[in-house]
Amino acid sequence: MRRPGVWFGWTTILAVVAVVASPIVVLAWSLIDPSTNVWAELWRTRLPGMIIETALLLVSVVFGAVVFGTGLAWLVSAFEFPARRVVGWLLVTPLAIPGYVGGFVWLETMSDVVGAREARSLWLCAVVLVLSLYPYVYLFARASFVDQGEDSLAVARSLGAGKAGVFFRVALPAARPAIAAGAALVAMETLTDIGTVRLFNVSTLADGVMRVWFGTGDLGAATELASALTGAAVLLITFERLLRSGGRRSRGSTEAAMNPRPLTKAGVVAAIAVTLAMLVIAVGIPLLRLFFWASESVRAGTAVTVAGGVTHHLGNTMLLAGSAAVVSIVVGTILALTVAHRGRVARVVGRISTVGYAMPGPVVAVGAVVMLAALDRRGWLPDGFLLVGSVAGLVFALVVRFLAVGYQGVEASLDRVPTTATESARVLGAGPVRTAVAIELPAARFGVMAAFALLCVDMVKELPITLLLRPFGVDTLSVWVWQATSESLWEQAAVPSLVMVVIGMFAVGALLVALERGAELVS
Amino acid sequence: MRATSFRDPHLKSISLLFSLALVAVVSACGGNSDSESDSATRLVTVYTGRHYGIEPVFEEFTAETGIEVRFTTGSDPELRARLEAEGANTPADLIMTADAANIALAAEAGLLATVDSETLRSAIPKELRAADNTWFALSRRLRVIMSSSERVDDAPTTYAEVGDPKWKGRLCLRPSTHPYTQSLVSALINNLGSDDARAIVDSWVANDPLYINSDTDMLKAIVAGDCDIALANSYYLGRLLTEDSTIPVSLTWPDQEGFGAHLNISAAGITVNAAHPKEARELLEWLATKGQKLFSDTNNEYPADPTVEPNEILSGFGSFKADINSVRELGRLNPAAVELLSAASYE
Repeated sequence: MRRPGVWFGWTTILAVVAVVASPIVVLAWSLIDPSTNVWAELWRTRLPGMIIETALLLVSVVFGAVVFGTGLAWLVSAFEFPARRVVGWLLVTPLAIPGYVGGFVWLETMSDVVGAREARSLWLCAVVLVLSLYPYVYLFARASFVDQGEDSLAVARSLGAGKAGVFFRVALPAARPAIAAGAALVAMETLTDIGTVRLFNVSTLADGVMRVWFGTGDLGAATELASALTGAAVLLITFERLLRSGGRRSRGSTEAAMNPRPLTKAGVVAAIAVTLAMLVIAVGIPLLRLFFWASESVRAGTAVTVAGGVTHHLGNTMLLAGSAAVVSIVVGTILALTVAHRGRVARVVGRISTVGYAMPGPVVAVGAVVMLAALDRRGWLPDGFLLVGSVAGLVFALVVRFLAVGYQGVEASLDRVPTTATESARVLGAGPVRTAVAIELPAARFGVMAAFALLCVDMVKELPITLLLRPFGVDTLSVWVWQATSESLWEQAAVPSLVMVVIGMFAVGALLVALERGAELVS
Repeated sequence: MRATSFRDPHLKSISLLFSLALVAVVSACGGNSDSESDSATRLVTVYTGRHYGIEPVFEEFTAETGIEVRFTTGSDPELRARLEAEGANTPADLIMTADAANIALAAEAGLLATVDSETLRSAIPKELRAADNTWFALSRRLRVIMSSSERVDDAPTTYAEVGDPKWKGRLCLRPSTHPYTQSLVSALINNLGSDDARAIVDSWVANDPLYINSDTDMLKAIVAGDCDIALANSYYLGRLLTEDSTIPVSLTWPDQEGFGAHLNISAAGITVNAAHPKEARELLEWLATKGQKLFSDTNNEYPADPTVEPNEILSGFGSFKADINSVRELGRLNPAAVELLSAASYE
């Protein structure tokens, strides 16, 4: 009964993985003939420093994101205070602010406060990254806390555990896998960030990739360094998987979701003060500064570029980010459905498709150009159609970079579909496609929606791939921001930045709706 | 588990999503067949790493010649990588860079065609174009010593003096990731040899410079008091002076008794695989002649053709000696400069 399905499934998995990993493989070809002289020089000069700075930044950003993300998630899930639901929503909104926008806003602001020299530090860079990335941990931890249900906490309380005891000895251990998954995302974003670290003069490995490539013109050596970076990311993910195993505890179907408990008056004041402080720092100050700059820019008449005004760029962003997010979610969903219930090997192979997420954007961009241009040279497409510089080529490269977000998000929700349901369907004669459409997709629909929303957030913010592969005359909001910031015209970058943040907020809103309805983030 | 059924409205929304996906894919594939459809309009396509103030220049060219300019912006090395990968299929007819090393690297990679043009040879001095005429400078920019006119009355007069210990903690420099820094060090190597160039860079690093990856922000740092002197390109001061003529930053032309101020260029070349070589040549020749003034003035740069007058702000900076002999060497010496900067622990 399953025979044809087996082959069809494996063909799908291998085809998707091969296509998506191809731009990285094309670049990794250079590993066969390593550039030893570049490595020797790097090791003598910058590499040790890069490794140290990368490690310091990684540890401090992940630590900060875990502390704030988990703490705030516990606060809004375990306790009742006024505006709790609104605050719970707002705490995710920093995701809508691109790191490179938050970076220049904070750099300029802190330069005014502490001076240009002191503002350029690894620690301030870490703070800026924590402010923009903690929502990943927050989202995952909150979903896990709510999911733990009321009973285990009630038992703990009846056994005499205080507030701290309930948190540290019951809720936190059970949420460990979720927190680890959020922390892994934070780590990945930190490792591949280039825009923010450069602003603060932090020499990380990702920055080193660009240094080697632009400095020596040796794309091969740059790719080798990028591969080392990906290796580090893979190690991190393996470590995270180990952390994940065990620990998780979900409430049974009859058990109530976690019920927020009332706080004392002082507790309410403290809760509001803490969340408000976070919101003011992570969202309020950057938005205020952007509003201020934007109004100056509008007054000076620079809120347009020659390519057009806000609507032109907004339209292009919506079209490109929208198509890329749609294609990613479709491919990600098909991959996740095919991989599901097919065992460990399928999972490992499926995960190869996420390699683009562990690479700095510019490396993926060049890998895609090299690969697409090689295809173009074969002239297979009609009418001399060229993939490089086409919307199709750009969407492909974006999917390579962000497929992981769609695939893993859907996979997590599919894992919660009981095998009894899918197996019953198969026993009753439904094929794999019918089972997927009738049982798995409906059950995982909010997971698909959440993954789609996260994809939209990422696609709208994306810069290096769009910059290199966009068709002529198709400038997006992020390209506009780049054109202004690369000339240090911060005021002129404010209008497109604000528009991007607003779109991001809508996507974040959709994400939260999906999560409230039961989307899963962690498999 | 949650309730699921065939009649679930959400199932509809998911199928809607999938249909949308199909539409998006189909429209994405069909969205780029504009390139050669209208053969009546003449077209030239430009990849440009210089992206500030080029639009009005291209518009003026189109108004005068009827040739439409299609361009994409980006960073020099990435555009070069794209051009190289595209090979014969590239849509690019002309590549334009914001510094000398990057255009020379493109020529070295065999991406640029030789242009035999009397117009270009007579407009652009021979030091400012490739020996094989694969690239041509279009404007000149000088990397000079900027200082606070409020706090500094003994600004350094040479690149070496910037390393004087009295500037310790008072100096702003651009990180070595930037081509302007790399080209400056290439010029030092060309004039003084590796050892002396290294000694100068070491003395800068010993002054514990504040590294800022933006010439504009270095000048603002001087105004704000974060540093007293900086090495920056001349046109950034020009740009700030256009906004506020009282800005307290002074310019000193370095090494006037020696090899002269470090001269870098904005340059362009026609690609070997240009589909519109005739139009590309017309644009290049126009930029080197009639368009010289507009091209240079929009960014407060000195025209590559020395007979064309710079704008008033630049005329106000006075005359100077520039290191014109190093320009052709900047590409060749770039790897050595990058290595020197790394070895000297320059950020």
